[in-house]
Amino acid sequence: MVGRGGPEYEFVVEAGKVREFATAVRSPRAGEQVPTTFPAYAASALETFDVVEAAGLDIRRVLHGEQAYDYARPLRVGNRLRCSSTVTSDEVKQGRRGGSMRVLTLATEMVDATTGELVVTCRARVIETGGAQ
Amino acid sequence: MSTSTPASFGPLTRTDIVRYAGASTDFNPMHHDDEFARATGMPSVFAHGMLSAGLLASHLEAWVGDGRILSFQVRFAAQVWPGDTLVPRLEVVDRDGPRTRLEIALERTEGGAAVTGTALVELDQKQEQQ
Repeated sequence: MVGRGGPEYEFVVEAGKVREFATAVRSPRAGEQVPTTFPAYAASALETFDVVEAAGLDIRRVLHGEQAYDYARPLRVGNRLRCSSTVTSDEVKQGRRGGSMRVLTLATEMVDATTGELVVTCRARVIETGGAQ
Repeated sequence: MSTSTPASFGPLTRTDIVRYAGASTDFNPMHHDDEFARATGMPSVFAHGMLSAGLLASHLEAWVGDGRILSFQVRFAAQVWPGDTLVPRLEVVDRDGPRTRLEIALERTEGGAAVTGTALVELDQKQEQQ
């Protein structure tokens, strides 16, 4: 699945959504600054690539293993971002208690639509547990 | 090395989880539908991993103040359940001028870490003394 991805999508950082998200995660960044994990909203609401479906994963055995955000510059209310996601790794690993698990990494780049500069890179590690021994 | 004074979040309620579901638009029924969660073998709904990540990030943001968070990465170690109380921990592990690397974690008072990770921040001049 490495190299597979979805079409670009647009993500607008809106004041009301930032406030709502900041309340939900108890963030002090509810206006001038944006909560650090705010891109999780875009991942859920706007993401065009369903890695679970594309990789044929069993949703009942899928876990969110890791998440990372690398900021080239801060997000601001009003930002319009062009986003796209790509699978950067897809491996089968042995679990600690025997059995195998499939681990995929999905990297999302969010670029300022006005200036073209990279704003944030998101990296999600998705794990499908179980599977053939 | 410095460790911030832990605040705490909780006890976590189903309302907290539902509020995060709405804010993030993550409506995975494992997080809000008890019947669904139990049918898959879970004792009840559990919180989104990203809600825990968000709470931990908020604690870091309070510590950083006006400074910048350059990178934030977390691993989801254990589920968080309604009724859990969560304690954030930050530990400075490296400094290079204003650039500060921290190990971060959100621990359940019931036992064990829910989330562990690292962060790289850039403090503004007022906070470099922390």
